[in-house]
Amino acid sequence: MKNSSFLGKYAHALAAALLLAVVTSLLAGCSKKAAESEGIKIGVVMPTTGREGKPGTYQKEGIELAIRQINDAGGLQVGNRKLPLKEIFYDDGSDSAKSAQLTERAMSSDGVTAVIGGYSTALGEAESVMPDRYQTPWITPGAAASSIFAHGYQYAFGTLTPINLLGSTTAEFLGSLVDQGKLKKGLKIAMALENTDHGVDYGNGIERWLNQHPGYFKVVFSEKFDLGGTDFSGLLQKVKQAKADIFLSDAHLQDYITMQRQYIQSGMHHQMISYGARGPEADARKALGDGVDYIFAGIWWSDKLPYPQVQKFAADYQAFTGRKVDSWYAATAYEAVRALAAAIQAAGSLDKTAIRDQLRKLEMKDSLVPGQVLKFGPNGQVGYAFVMVQNKPDNKVDIVYPKDAATGEVIAPTPVSK
Amino acid sequence: MGEEAPAGMSTAVIAPSRLEARARAGLPWLLLAVLALLPTAGLTPNIVRLLFITFVWVTSSLGWNLLGGFTGQVSFGFAVFYGLGAYTAALMIDRGVNPYLSFVAAGLVPAVAAFLIGLPTFRLRGPYFAIATIGVSEATRVIMNNLAITGGASGFRIMEHRPFRQVEHYYTALGVAALAVAASFLIAHSKFGMGLRAIKQDEEAAADLGVNPYAYKLAIHAVAAALTGIAGGVFARYAAFIYPQGVFAFQTSVYILLMPVIGGIGTVWGAVLGGVIFGIVEEQLVASFPQIHLLLYGGLLILIILAEPDGLVGLLGKLFRRLRTPRRNDGDTNSGGRKADQVLRRAGGG
Amino acid sequence: MTFIDFLNLLIAALLLAGIYAVMSVGMTVIYGVMKIVNLAHAGFMMTGAYFAYEVYERLHLDPILAALLAFGFFFLVGIAVHWLLVRWLPPSDRPTLQSLLLMFGLWLVLQNIGYLIWGNTDRSILTPRTLDLVHLGPITISSLRLVVFVAAVGCMALLEVALSRTWFGRSVRALIQNRYAGRIVGVDTEKTARLTFGLGIAFAGVAGALLATLFSFDPDFGRPFLLRAFVIIVLGGLESVSGVALGALILALVETFSILLVPAEYQPAISFGLLVVVLVVLPGGIASLWAKRRRLA
Repeated sequence: MKNSSFLGKYAHALAAALLLAVVTSLLAGCSKKAAESEGIKIGVVMPTTGREGKPGTYQKEGIELAIRQINDAGGLQVGNRKLPLKEIFYDDGSDSAKSAQLTERAMSSDGVTAVIGGYSTALGEAESVMPDRYQTPWITPGAAASSIFAHGYQYAFGTLTPINLLGSTTAEFLGSLVDQGKLKKGLKIAMALENTDHGVDYGNGIERWLNQHPGYFKVVFSEKFDLGGTDFSGLLQKVKQAKADIFLSDAHLQDYITMQRQYIQSGMHHQMISYGARGPEADARKALGDGVDYIFAGIWWSDKLPYPQVQKFAADYQAFTGRKVDSWYAATAYEAVRALAAAIQAAGSLDKTAIRDQLRKLEMKDSLVPGQVLKFGPNGQVGYAFVMVQNKPDNKVDIVYPKDAATGEVIAPTPVSK
Repeated sequence: MGEEAPAGMSTAVIAPSRLEARARAGLPWLLLAVLALLPTAGLTPNIVRLLFITFVWVTSSLGWNLLGGFTGQVSFGFAVFYGLGAYTAALMIDRGVNPYLSFVAAGLVPAVAAFLIGLPTFRLRGPYFAIATIGVSEATRVIMNNLAITGGASGFRIMEHRPFRQVEHYYTALGVAALAVAASFLIAHSKFGMGLRAIKQDEEAAADLGVNPYAYKLAIHAVAAALTGIAGGVFARYAAFIYPQGVFAFQTSVYILLMPVIGGIGTVWGAVLGGVIFGIVEEQLVASFPQIHLLLYGGLLILIILAEPDGLVGLLGKLFRRLRTPRRNDGDTNSGGRKADQVLRRAGGG
Repeated sequence: MTFIDFLNLLIAALLLAGIYAVMSVGMTVIYGVMKIVNLAHAGFMMTGAYFAYEVYERLHLDPILAALLAFGFFFLVGIAVHWLLVRWLPPSDRPTLQSLLLMFGLWLVLQNIGYLIWGNTDRSILTPRTLDLVHLGPITISSLRLVVFVAAVGCMALLEVALSRTWFGRSVRALIQNRYAGRIVGVDTEKTARLTFGLGIAFAGVAGALLATLFSFDPDFGRPFLLRAFVIIVLGGLESVSGVALGALILALVETFSILLVPAEYQPAISFGLLVVVLVVLPGGIASLWAKRRRLA
């Protein structure tokens, strides 16, 4: 048998060089250089690469805008000095294990005062183990699953309202359409939920409202799908066969785009269709054109809210990043930083437990969130209301619910396309 | 050092001196002592975590090596055992069972699973077995993703009502890794181990000599799975949150396979070296560089398959031998010595 | 379930089978001739998908045309890969672990190159045809799926012609049956192996380009399709293009109709489960049920 003489003796030298490169790399990257100058170290753990890279980047921008504004105003009063906020950023690449590890590193070795992190439920769940372990406050502006806050953690906070409220608000919104006469009573709903706590909460919220208001709608189909799938045709076949009137799904951005494309290709039509908290994202518009018209969504924040602070934030964001703010991601992150800053200022020290106590008492008026008040509930999670938005033709988006925040009329049922 | 070598032969290979033999035997104990004392040297929690995860990987690597390296059955599905171990430990610790008891269970459950999986799949040879393990691994992941008791795709959270002490986890992982090393050496030098090697070289011939390949494979598969499962359990306790897309991922199977292959398939120290390199490189790359680890591992794998099938251990061995063998300058290329090296290396194995 | 529903599912399965067939034929020829399990097939499909994406984004060519270009491009890539890496493997008439791990390493490298160039956000190709529908009475079909199906069948037909009419095809069939006997009767194994490898990778690229029009993709794209390709090879055997077509049809039918019985979450487990079952129950594939050939040596 001819022995492979690939590269001959040079292979050994090559492999030895590789080994050397490996060792050098680990010596080089030994420790994350913490901020040298004085300041309040805030760890930020967000995905800027990977599946959740887009929304993660938006949240990072929101955080950095807030930090910039606070520092420009002189920083925070701690004791008898004014200190700036110093961000130490970690990209977790949308990987849960890395997310947990980086959070742990920030809290245990890099000496941060608090961590803001966890875009999306999966990353948030993994990170949420660390705050109590290292007794460091942690605020998540991107993970809304109630299970994170159901275990009695003392140092975990979140600026997103729980998802089951999204579910019940969605059902409530649809109910209001029946009351207005736009939809008939007793319509059938088909649900396709993502196989995570997020999806489970959403489904539960909808079912709860339906049970409290019998007769309005009936769920004829409900199944789960895995995140990150490339092919939903099997699931959509079943949805088609369920012959429902309303299609409600709960998905992340990528899956929403993929599923909607296949939905259209299957020739289906429903009177109302929603993807949970996704709908108006610019990426979806770009990918599907007018294929996303009339989709409605329940989101945590919209730049169309009629508050002056919202307009100011949108303008500041545009100036900071050069882009229009896309959906809700940046706003909740921005508010997380402001909440943390307020708590640090109120505590007057960098003692993590004192800061945590102040977060618990915090009531931030003039907030960007719907209702204008940001307050953490006893389990650490906020509870403001959702807004329902709908995509309109020609790249427009309108707030359609609640009535006092509405900027346009809802179009229901969805017109049949040619 | 020793007697003068006859012309053309290198001493160090033919007759290692007593001193050297004793040093070689004492090395693992020295290493263990150093690692056991390390935490007292004031390391940052991050470094302790790094070492912890390295020990976990080393254990998984050694586990896989028992089946893939000693017995020559390449499995792409060891994440199944890692994940089962993780979930077993997680479920038990969350319910208040003693963690160490849970780790034992974390070894037993995958062992049983390995036996059941092996029953049909070990009738397949070589690559067919490898492909079947991919199938089993992915099917398990999908099932675990949807199982309610374990939390399904949302993952499982361990609420351990004990204070967290990082050194405790460190010593547990170190102990488990040491156990894996000891088990590997014991098996390698036992009659069972020789049977495994025989199966690796030629299954039919081994059968003719009285070894039952099917039974041996089933047995070693269970042991390998147990070690990997314990590693998974130890990891789960530290992470306190596990989910199917993580512990049951195809990527996890890949990593477990890559470590011993890159380090030196079939050798104990090769598996350890692979685990160490992997643990340290992987964790460092996470923080510092963009994702180039697949490139690194893939490239190393290609190089190793084509140039140095004995992995880095083989490579280092060759380098050391080259450094030790004095160069003759009278035109004699020392081919006699080199041929002898090759013969001895092939016969000596591990 | 009404007859219309049944017909819908049947047509969906048929269209899917076409795609599956063209996806696995590349792996089949390489395996048949060289007994190499080409795990990098997934990587080349992924590269093919991005090839179509780039061609569409930059040159604004229809992806089906891109698939045609992909054939030539990837054929050359396959020859290059063979010359660089594969020819060093010792030839064998049985699959070796060495070849398996080598192709696996190559797959990892390709994946990472994909990540470096395109990142891991999903990409997709949106053409005016993407959302188009064709109505045949009560049946609705995506026109894109239909076009892809036709393209796939076309490829398979061309391959069948090549295998049965040309000297190359005869060499390939000879080597598939028995490598040593092929050598004895004068088949140039080196040349045939090289061209076969090129052909296999070319088909991987074409399959990737076609799949890119239907699904969104990221650098990990090939893996679920890779497993399906194994199943098809195992089901349909290696002897002929029609064997691959048969295997693809069986898998597509099982997958499509199983959604009636199995919840959507468990769907991916179907092809994996089928793979294991078939491998264990019929190690020679369904084709072995009617295999007439006998091995020499």
